[in-house]
Amino acid sequence: MADKQQKPVTGGNKPKPTGNGGQSAKDKSRAASRPVAAKGAAGGKGGNTPRPGKSGAAAPRPSGSRTGVLVAWGSVALVVVIIAVLFIVNATKSTTQNLSYTPVTPAPAQVVSDVANIPLSTWNKVGVTSQFPVAKPNILSGQPAMTLDGKSPAMLYYGAEYCPYCAAERWAMATALARFGTWSNLKITASSHTDVDAATNTFSFYGATLDSPYLTFKAVEQYTNVPVSGTPGAYTNLQNPTKEEGAIISKYSSSKFLPNASSSGGVSFPFVNINNLALISGASYDPQILAGQTWTDISSGLSDPTNPITQAILTTGNYMSAAICNSTKGQPGDVCTSSGVQAAAKALGISAS
Amino acid sequence: MPALRWQPIASLLLSIYGLGASIYLTITHFQPKALACVSNSTFNCEKVTQSPQSEIFGIPVAMLGLVFFVPMILLCLPAAWRSADRRIHLARLALSVTGVGMIIYLISAELFVIKAICIWCSSVHITTLILFIIIATASPIVLATGYGTTDGTPVDGDES
Repeated sequence: MADKQQKPVTGGNKPKPTGNGGQSAKDKSRAASRPVAAKGAAGGKGGNTPRPGKSGAAAPRPSGSRTGVLVAWGSVALVVVIIAVLFIVNATKSTTQNLSYTPVTPAPAQVVSDVANIPLSTWNKVGVTSQFPVAKPNILSGQPAMTLDGKSPAMLYYGAEYCPYCAAERWAMATALARFGTWSNLKITASSHTDVDAATNTFSFYGATLDSPYLTFKAVEQYTNVPVSGTPGAYTNLQNPTKEEGAIISKYSSSKFLPNASSSGGVSFPFVNINNLALISGASYDPQILAGQTWTDISSGLSDPTNPITQAILTTGNYMSAAICNSTKGQPGDVCTSSGVQAAAKALGISAS
Repeated sequence: MPALRWQPIASLLLSIYGLGASIYLTITHFQPKALACVSNSTFNCEKVTQSPQSEIFGIPVAMLGLVFFVPMILLCLPAAWRSADRRIHLARLALSVTGVGMIIYLISAELFVIKAICIWCSSVHITTLILFIIIATASPIVLATGYGTTDGTPVDGDES
């Protein structure tokens, strides 16, 4: 330590004003007991200016070098600039997003293929096990099978392209329904850029059809994801339910069938009714888990049963599959007798065959 | 260069606040219903504290806050600021640099991944940033040769 104290200190402080014209009694005491080597520091080149008064013999205050001060303040400035840039980029991005939406475009063939060709082993390995929480559908009993366009069994989806919860639910519906039929005209888009879970990448079911020998599937996308200018939170209308669909939505979205339904009425998007047997209101899993994921990020992971996003999607899909299998009387057999669907049926307390 | 006056007590108070906020956020990480926070499209504490980014290698970030602020309190005690042992000052500086690096990551996660701001978390981020500013700008003084010895700069309370 003594050696260090003998080193000259570059830069320097201005003399420190002292009370009572000099050092305190304590300082004097310290100075008296100060090692000789320490006193030598006062004579160092470029060192501090000696204190005035009686402390003239005392050593100078240590101080940081000019380089050290520059580095310190430079570091602080750098950190502040980095944080400021983060907020500015975010604000710029938000401003851009506020004025835009993700257009609806045909789904890439690879995405559709990924959704339609999830290995049965992946479905079974996932079963109903997901790292992220997944809500079960509400199971009804004693209700007549749903008929749409004169066909039964049937499944009805009611949602909107802007809706982030629908965005999450569509991934599960697209994968589950691909086990029972073939998709045509699937589109991709994203939820609202300004709502929660903004711009969650998903499909649009508007104009899409499921060709299935087992089930009739109808989808109603009530609104687009295109904001109405000057009306925050409003989106342009896209599609209205038919009278038949409206009656089903109105009846089964009530608190009589959905315990969490608003007592004042109204439908929460998404509303999914699987043959009047299973109801889903809202997202089965948190759309936030899809944040930052592109369509291909999500679809390419669907064959990996260890992927947490895949687990949430396929767990939801297995629940839906179990409800559909109950409605189709166990058809197709390879799907309905699979261990994943059987596990989901058991969890829901229904039969999948 | 000014001597240290307010930095020791300010850094200590900030560290104590940071520890308190981290304890609260740790509790609410495991009991989300205990979280008192505004919730709208911009601010949503629960969304942040329950996000995948709220854990690093399975450890809640709020708990990492505890790991940060407990030693920081010790390193910001007036006695530690007065110490002639450079290792204490280097440890304080290193810890604050680590903290500010962490908040840059967490702010990025909130803005660009989670897309929500947690007010409680932000208060900890601001606390950590101010701590970094105080510690970084005080470091040239406390790391200077001779600091803390009887020849050194008297710091707050040193002359009492």
